Amino acid sequence: MSILAVTRREWTGRRNILLLALGFSVISLLSLSFETDPKTAHEKASFMGVFSGTMLAWVIALLFGATMVSRDLEERRFGFFLNQPLHPAQIFLGKVLAGLGLGLLAGLLATLPPVLLSGLWRQLALKDVGSVLGVGLAGCLVLLLFFHVVSIQVRSRSLWLLLDLVAWTAFFAGVRWLSLRLIDGGAFQDMFHLWLGLLAGVTLGLGIAGYLQVAEGRADLQRGHRWVSVTMALTLGLALLAGWADVSWVLKHRPPEAKAQPRNSRIR
Amino acid sequence: MTSQAASLPVACHQVGVRYGRTQALDQATFQVEPGQVYALLGRNGSGKTSLVRCLLGHQKPTAGRVDLFGQDVWSARQALMHRVGVVAEEPDAPPLMTTRQLVRFCGSLYPTWDQAGVDQRLGRFRIPMDLPFGRLSRGQKGQVSLALALGPKPALLVLDDPTLGLDAVARREVYDELLGELAERGTTVLITTHDLAGIEGLADRIGILHQGRLLVDASLEDLKARHRKVSWAPSQAVAPTDLAPFAPLWSRAGSLGGEAILTLGDPSQVPGLQVHPLSLEELFVALVGEAEVAS
Repeated sequence: MSILAVTRREWTGRRNILLLALGFSVISLLSLSFETDPKTAHEKASFMGVFSGTMLAWVIALLFGATMVSRDLEERRFGFFLNQPLHPAQIFLGKVLAGLGLGLLAGLLATLPPVLLSGLWRQLALKDVGSVLGVGLAGCLVLLLFFHVVSIQVRSRSLWLLLDLVAWTAFFAGVRWLSLRLIDGGAFQDMFHLWLGLLAGVTLGLGIAGYLQVAEGRADLQRGHRWVSVTMALTLGLALLAGWADVSWVLKHRPPEAKAQPRNSRIR
Repeated sequence: MTSQAASLPVACHQVGVRYGRTQALDQATFQVEPGQVYALLGRNGSGKTSLVRCLLGHQKPTAGRVDLFGQDVWSARQALMHRVGVVAEEPDAPPLMTTRQLVRFCGSLYPTWDQAGVDQRLGRFRIPMDLPFGRLSRGQKGQVSLALALGPKPALLVLDDPTLGLDAVARREVYDELLGELAERGTTVLITTHDLAGIEGLADRIGILHQGRLLVDASLEDLKARHRKVSWAPSQAVAPTDLAPFAPLWSRAGSLGGEAILTLGDPSQVPGLQVHPLSLEELFVALVGEAEVAS
């Protein structure tokens, strides 16, 4: 119940975003009137609805993540939550749920009118709807957590930022190296699974880092940053290690017919 | 842990806070007894805010520990906050929430929430219930914060400069509300303030922080009994040697005469010296001024 109380509090004053979402859906519907061919018009309106809804949901999640804790900390308003009998997990999850809910609702409001009015829904299977919703929500979660962590790192202006930069640079360099190993080893098709696994691992790390920032950093932005930096450096390191193990296993167990590609054939 | 320690609303043991090379708070040790009003005084930058943040579990002290009701506040913050009401220095409630929404939000978190009491207080303060918190005046924000802090009938009330920026009327209303709470429930209060005149009639015990160190931790009664304010007319020749036996804490003399705050003995026997009641403000200025000279 306390989580929902925090969620409700986060929604207060942000309901105008839903009006914006309806505005997006109207723009998508307007495209119907510019097309002479009704079939193309409906397809375009539906596409625009889904595209703008997803983008809107992701932008909301991004902005929400970037402000949900760090702005309260910077404006010295986070103490309001800490002065209540709320567990850090209730504060953090309440805020994350609010961001996800707002993103999802805005996305649906921007998407549904064009999809319903254009008749596209008749051609959609439940699985397709589930996939679109799943990708949209997953994107929202990743963006929200990522920008929460980044906003703490940027706003604290502490020297731990150096560790963050080194960790992220090493991570991306490592991902590039692992991807090239897969290409060189003729296992290009396994790259998607590698990236998905890394993304899942990093998202889990972002969630843990975000929670620890609230639980251990509390009103102290610098201390919160320290926890975030150490957690993320460990997460990125472990993710790379797991990725390396995965790539090694894939290359060792690849079918004999899969031949290594010559180096000069690599797509650059 | 002894039962006495467990019943102490506040116990700070050697609390230190360091920001980089700056020691904001150094080995602060004090206790607040049940039902006591403890006033924590100090100039800006003396370490009051750091101490309050540690006391509420917002910040982990770099040394020492803070216990509320016998439990370490850093590790047991959530449970302890059921028994603690807080008024922050800067009203920190979400600015877009109306007073009604704030009351509903806080009320849903406490099993002991006194809705009727909160409604009465907000009515007495004449707070518009449907105006966003951010659009209330400074005084109204402070009054809403106080009403919310008293809502769960706390055993300990922590007030961080609650009268900062308030006009005389709003200040009086805050003190009246506090007096009412003390008379009705005997709540323990820890208050930091710059309003020395206002707190003088309320405080039982005084702590004075200066440059991160707790200079004084004594009852107001003791402090006043230990210090005497004297003055003398320009025509009276009072030499420093005349005051030396009374260990002056602070003195000043000029063409209009002189005055001093003495720490020992009974100066009424000295001819030409007039003894006056000493205000908390005069005592604070003398103690902190002396500490600055010494440092």
